[in-house]
Amino acid sequence: MKNRLRILRAERSWSQADLAQKLEVSRQSVNAIETGKFDPSLPLAFKLARLFESPIESIFTDEE
Amino acid sequence: MICMPTTKAGRRYTRRLAPTMAIYLVFLFITQWSFHHHHPTGLIVYVLAILPALPLIGSLAIVGLYIKEESDEFERSILIQSMLWGFGGALAISTIWGFLEDFAQAPHLSNFYVYVFFWFLMAISQPIIRLRYK
Repeated sequence: MKNRLRILRAERSWSQADLAQKLEVSRQSVNAIETGKFDPSLPLAFKLARLFESPIESIFTDEE
Repeated sequence: MICMPTTKAGRRYTRRLAPTMAIYLVFLFITQWSFHHHHPTGLIVYVLAILPALPLIGSLAIVGLYIKEESDEFERSILIQSMLWGFGGALAISTIWGFLEDFAQAPHLSNFYVYVFFWFLMAISQPIIRLRYK
């Protein structure tokens, strides 16, 4: 699943480690989600949406 | 175990597993020493024989606890995938070995080694699985 996490993170000057800390997950988890290789669960997607103050569909798209 | 995540649940897993394996070594020593020096009979034979298996069964329960407690879904997914490799690999090896014993006069291998194969394959599969997410 494609996503805008890298852009949203860059806008806030957060590193992957910063985002991982805010989400309480490992940096590897953030990297796997960001590169579209691991799809987050709905609760984690909502957590990301709250963190970036954006709707889920503006962060994730279901394009391959 | 190699490649365990550094999450809170991962650290709890290590804190639980280390003493469990120490208990295994103690129980194994007790069993071997007892059979070597006292030649037990009757029910005590079964109790002593099963004794070292108990902490090993406990180690499987500790993995189950880790899966239950791990809040990082990516890390949980990696471990579950590695467990599937461990289970599948251990079953495959023991099945092949069983037929080799039956038809090719291969030396008998204790069923205990299924546990060893499981952990070995689970451990080596983790870094390989992680490569897919790089």
